[in-house]
Amino acid sequence: MISVRNITKKFGHLTVLTDVSLEVAPQEVVVIIGPSGSGKSTFLRCLNGLEKVTKGEIFINNVEITHSKTNLSKVRKEVGMVFQRFNLFQHLTALQNITIGPVEVLKLSKKEAEDRAYALLEKVGLKDKAHSYPDQLSGGQQQRVAIARALAMNPIVMLFDEPTSALDPEMVGEVLAVMKDLAKEGMTMLVVTHEMGFAREVGDRVLFMDEGRIVEEGKPSELFGNPKEERTKLFLSKIL
Amino acid sequence: MDSGTLGIIFDAMPMLIEGVKLTVIYSIAAIIPATIVGLIFALLKLSSLGFLRRIGEVYVHVFRGLPLLVVIFYIYFAVPHVLPMHAWFGDSYRFIAAIIALTLNEGAYITEIIRAGILSIDHGQTEAAYSIGMNKFQAMRFIILPQAFKRMIPPLMNQFIQTIKDTSLLSAISVAELTRQGQIYISTSFAALQIWTAVAIMYLIVILSLTAISTKLERRWQIDKR
Ligand SMILES: Nc1ncnc2c1ncn2[C@@H]1O[C@H](COP(=O)(O)OP(=O)(O)O)[C@@H](O)[C@H]1O
Ligand SMILES: [Mg+2]
Repeated sequence: MISVRNITKKFGHLTVLTDVSLEVAPQEVVVIIGPSGSGKSTFLRCLNGLEKVTKGEIFINNVEITHSKTNLSKVRKEVGMVFQRFNLFQHLTALQNITIGPVEVLKLSKKEAEDRAYALLEKVGLKDKAHSYPDQLSGGQQQRVAIARALAMNPIVMLFDEPTSALDPEMVGEVLAVMKDLAKEGMTMLVVTHEMGFAREVGDRVLFMDEGRIVEEGKPSELFGNPKEERTKLFLSKIL
Repeated sequence: MDSGTLGIIFDAMPMLIEGVKLTVIYSIAAIIPATIVGLIFALLKLSSLGFLRRIGEVYVHVFRGLPLLVVIFYIYFAVPHVLPMHAWFGDSYRFIAAIIALTLNEGAYITEIIRAGILSIDHGQTEAAYSIGMNKFQAMRFIILPQAFKRMIPPLMNQFIQTIKDTSLLSAISVAELTRQGQIYISTSFAALQIWTAVAIMYLIVILSLTAISTKLERRWQIDKR
């Protein structure tokens, strides 16, 4: 489903990703952990073309998105992204945040888009907030709307960049619950998070990134219970 | 002011009202193209292509750098030496020259207002728009501009007020707007005090009405549209 082949990403002289490769199977949930600045966000951003890789190739459903002729807007329709800071459209209601992509990009009718949006709002438990603006919603509610907004495009894979780290602790659970449901429904997901409970419960694989490389990977129980690399041990001892 | 004051002002009023009409017409005729020009050059200045950015920069530097009166004279008096404007447009060249000069000048300021408005929107909004498959044009039209526009209303209103005041410079090429009408009336009546007082009050009435409308608009936008 996703095939990342030896990608390198530089910002000027700063090398942020070095020779990273990864294969993700359909319906797999891959959790990415690692210290701040290790390149986790940059890695996800390369996967939907928000950043251009310096070297290497990325294939999504056999389409090479790193090819210069690939239409990135087309790719991004199929790759949903959820941001740490939600990035809901501030001038639109929750409902409009969800319908604008289907209407303007997928060219669905307003009626179809709204039906889909209401169903998604129900799924994330926010049907009664359809007409609220982002600044009238709590962080947890905003993030759930953001997830619904991404799902409205019917993506084949969802990327989550620390979706709960900007939230007050009491709101983390409601967002993780939505993500767990998604995982159980068979969505292919790449999730940058330090929520170990989530990683253990729904993660098929955990990657530990440091200094722009995947240092170690394994099943959650193996990587958390019995890390092999010194750097992984050190990092886990700090966050657990 | 003596007892003749009111009589003089009454006598001058039809001319001054004609002047106000032209002031308003020229202002509106300039504000609309100036806003379009401003939007185009703002987008050029924000382009990822260096040469487009350069075009935008040169435009702003040139027309912010030139006194408006010089631009008016240049277009009305100098350009016809290279292009047969009077043959093409006849008497309406006065109007055309006035609108082009005002548009170029106000457009340069509006370019900066729109550019600043667009830049004030968090980059996360653009990224979120891209992430649901929007292209640059769609992200600008549906996500960035609607939010930026709200923030641009106060500075744009200032610029529109500036434009109304700037139309008084058109008196120098004999456009019969308010200032020019005042001058003409004074040249035969010598009632400078009365007429300039009346002219000043009429400018204030026009500008304060615009301010009132804009305050109302701004409030409505803040409430329904966010
Ligand atoms: N647009 C950018 N320009 C320059 N440097 C960047 C940019 N984005 C990220 N970086 C740098 O890349 C490194 C990795 O950042 P990031 O991918 O955000 O790490 P993480 O998400 O793991 O904290 C950091 O050193 C960061 O400063
Ligand atoms: Mg990050």
